[in-house]
Amino acid sequence: MKWIRAIVSLLVTAAIFWGLDNRHGTVPPAGKFLNPFAGFWQNGTRGDALPASLVVPGLQAEVRVAWDGRHVPYIFAENDHDLYLAQGYIAASLRLWQMEFQVLYTAGRISEIVGPLGLRQDLFNRRFGMLWAAEKALSKFMDNPKTRLAIEAYSAGVNAYIQGLGKKALPVEYKILDYAPEPWSGLKCTLLLKTMTYTLAAFNQDAAMTVMRDALGETVVDALFPLEPPLVDPVIPPGTAWDFKPLPLPGPNPQKGREAGSRPAGAGSTHDEAADFAPIGTRPSPEVGSNNWAVSGKLTRDGYPILCNDMHLGLTLPAIWYELQLSAPGINARGVSFPGAPLVVAGYNENIAWGFTNGTDDVLDWYAVRFKDESRGEYLVNGEWRKTSVREERIKVRGGKTVVDKVIYTHQGPVVRLKGEAPFPGVDVPEDAALRWLGHDPSNEFMTLDGLNRAKNYDDYLKALESWDCPAQNIVYADREGTIAIWHNGKYPLRWKGQGRYVLGGSDPANDWQGWVPRAHNPHVRNPERGFVSSANQMATDARYPYYLGSDYASYERGARINEILSGARGVTPEDMIRMQGDVLDMRARAVLSRLLAFIPEPKAEAEKRSLDELRGWNFEARAAFIAPTVFKQFWNDLNALTWNDEKKGAMERMTWPASEVMVDLVLNHPDSDFFDDKTTPGKETLADIAGDAFRTAVSKLEKRWGPFGPGWRWGKAKGTRISHLARIPGLGREGLEADGDGHVIDAISVNWAPSWRMVVELGPEVKAWGIFPGGQSGNPGSRYYDDMVDAWLATKPDELIFLKSAGEPNPGIVARTTLRGEK
Amino acid sequence: MIAVLICLLVMLVLQIITPYWWWVMIVPFAYGMGAAKSGAKAMRTGFVSAGLLWLGSSLYFVLTGSGIITGRVARMLGLPASWPMVLITALIAGIAAAFSGYAGYAVRALFKKK
Repeated sequence: MKWIRAIVSLLVTAAIFWGLDNRHGTVPPAGKFLNPFAGFWQNGTRGDALPASLVVPGLQAEVRVAWDGRHVPYIFAENDHDLYLAQGYIAASLRLWQMEFQVLYTAGRISEIVGPLGLRQDLFNRRFGMLWAAEKALSKFMDNPKTRLAIEAYSAGVNAYIQGLGKKALPVEYKILDYAPEPWSGLKCTLLLKTMTYTLAAFNQDAAMTVMRDALGETVVDALFPLEPPLVDPVIPPGTAWDFKPLPLPGPNPQKGREAGSRPAGAGSTHDEAADFAPIGTRPSPEVGSNNWAVSGKLTRDGYPILCNDMHLGLTLPAIWYELQLSAPGINARGVSFPGAPLVVAGYNENIAWGFTNGTDDVLDWYAVRFKDESRGEYLVNGEWRKTSVREERIKVRGGKTVVDKVIYTHQGPVVRLKGEAPFPGVDVPEDAALRWLGHDPSNEFMTLDGLNRAKNYDDYLKALESWDCPAQNIVYADREGTIAIWHNGKYPLRWKGQGRYVLGGSDPANDWQGWVPRAHNPHVRNPERGFVSSANQMATDARYPYYLGSDYASYERGARINEILSGARGVTPEDMIRMQGDVLDMRARAVLSRLLAFIPEPKAEAEKRSLDELRGWNFEARAAFIAPTVFKQFWNDLNALTWNDEKKGAMERMTWPASEVMVDLVLNHPDSDFFDDKTTPGKETLADIAGDAFRTAVSKLEKRWGPFGPGWRWGKAKGTRISHLARIPGLGREGLEADGDGHVIDAISVNWAPSWRMVVELGPEVKAWGIFPGGQSGNPGSRYYDDMVDAWLATKPDELIFLKSAGEPNPGIVARTTLRGEK
Repeated sequence: MIAVLICLLVMLVLQIITPYWWWVMIVPFAYGMGAAKSGAKAMRTGFVSAGLLWLGSSLYFVLTGSGIITGRVARMLGLPASWPMVLITALIAGIAAAFSGYAGYAVRALFKKK
């Protein structure tokens, strides 16, 4: 009896211990997690305290850090090594969990944390060659003494922080997911860069385009997805003369015709079924965008150039950016950086300012591969069998067996999805096709950042840009001497017009990339006559530019609106520019609404009547409190659905719709276009017929979704902007924000993409700047500085940024000072 | 009463100097095995001492800077308010301590002569 009692009570106690010491599904290990002395209770605001001195092993001299009231560090070091080391240490102290999680994600290692749930995503990132790309890029960084120093010292700083971090002070996400940080490395800095490269330079619709071409024919596709779209005001002012002699372009193999082999006849893999290429639900969304512009002193009130930048990225907490100033002999830069990478990414120094928007060019192509047999050991090139190579990827799985995946590579790159495999969610990957992606090629973008951080003038900026290959960016520039410029900058394959819009035949070497556009031939303009430069991810140039760079650019509205405002601007002040970043005028609605309203018969239903009144009285601003933007957006979507979804038995339904400029052009100039005809009815419909249908459908959908017409339909609520936690942990984000703006207006706040850093810099004798981002400096969800800037960001009310001349400079905004010292 | 106080103080010190949560099981187990007069007393002492320790300390942390994180964790777990977190924390410690205290006593009972 005693024995039974002892054994049973011991077993029960052991079971309780096991239960509380381990994670169960998404439930954290309760014992560890709730322990007041080491669990989540320790992740409070006490972590916000700033000590007067800290020991940071590895420092060669003292580093002095001032902190402002928003928890922004101003780092002053005596040499570059200490500067990067201190940056790594401080970045880790603010954002360690985020830094590591982003990198593990890109490396295809999420399964190590979340278990089998992460396997599909990990497999995708491995197959896509993210780790392969990072390893190659790292060796390039290490070959350069400057970037080597930056990466090694930065990593040492992160590791100094990790080593000094006890279990109690671990960021709360480690406690929730029950794991611990591993040492930081140069490879991790590189992976972070590749994370951004994937986000910005991997969007493509090649597979979907191929299906559509096969269904509709190339003429129709060219009409719907024109290489020279209507209404677009390009980055480089039309008519700008090119100061170079263009290289001859390669051509497709003439014997096989244009785009030879993009449907390889009799090849091992044929793609006759639309579903092979673009299964419903895997369409990527082309939402990535940004704005930047610089106004010459000719147009400003005080005669100083003003540079503005807002980069649109996914809304997450912890925020993508953190702010800082980096100062040492030879460098004094202020702006924002990515946690996990050295240097300032976007910002300014005492002489110049710079900013980015995504170039959005096509640097990713798919090649249909003809394999000899199922083993995929050999593939056809130019009539001969060539050996494939294999890279073994080992994916460790928490609570499961390690998965070994042998990724097949051709000379083009990895084969991401094998024939017969399920599609990867959210991406459009053709089967048995090799991936040629510029993101795989080693390049040294950190060298560009180093150059920009230290640049004193236009020549320095130009020199810095030479190392930036991918993701291609519109890098805007302004300096104190009055120069403004923009370079559509990156490395571009030399291609015939339209090459790579469709899946290419992998057996014909003529389809491979045939060299590069010389750097000096990249689209650019310096001090244009009109007094400003700007970009908003639209096509870079007009048709006179001799090279083909891509065709999947952002729609025309943001770029056109920016140029419209700046064209009429005189006596511009920084306050005007801050207001302009918050401009919410919907160009699309302004262009088409009166035309569309004319087609809508006078409605009888109450909700339709009142919706129509809203649209009639609308000033075209996408304001959170307005109902009209909600109605127009739904109306526009239903108009597009009625126009496109019936084309060719639904082949179009699988694609993104043609860009809005194509639709706007049809509405304004071709209301009788055949595309408006509803192919499912015997009669011939025109825009006049379907506009009314679209409007009624839209109103009834809105009633179903948001209830009877009224305040519940307001744009802010219907849009429902949210800032989710990076790992989608509930409770750690900000939901239900009511935000002005929309993806295609200047203040591009959509549901979960938005301006990630708003910056305005005036380059006077003393550089002045304003900035704000949707989050806060700290990555700790329990900190006061986790999301404290969100409200000011929503209201487009940036703070004036402090820019110190020395560590000890008195400034009322500085609230604390910390001295970092190496070990004795 | 004195047993509760001693257990509580010993756990407090161990929890402050180490990051391990399971002292709230080890200490009551040791008490149950070494000193408890009955199974019920071992259970009660474990429950009260560990429960009080985690109740008091979590309350202390909430009031000194952990309010924000407690609110977020409560939302993560789908709770309507922060204060249940304190109760859940105390209960978890109390239950774990009660069972291990009893187990300690049960083991001791094996060697105890009538």
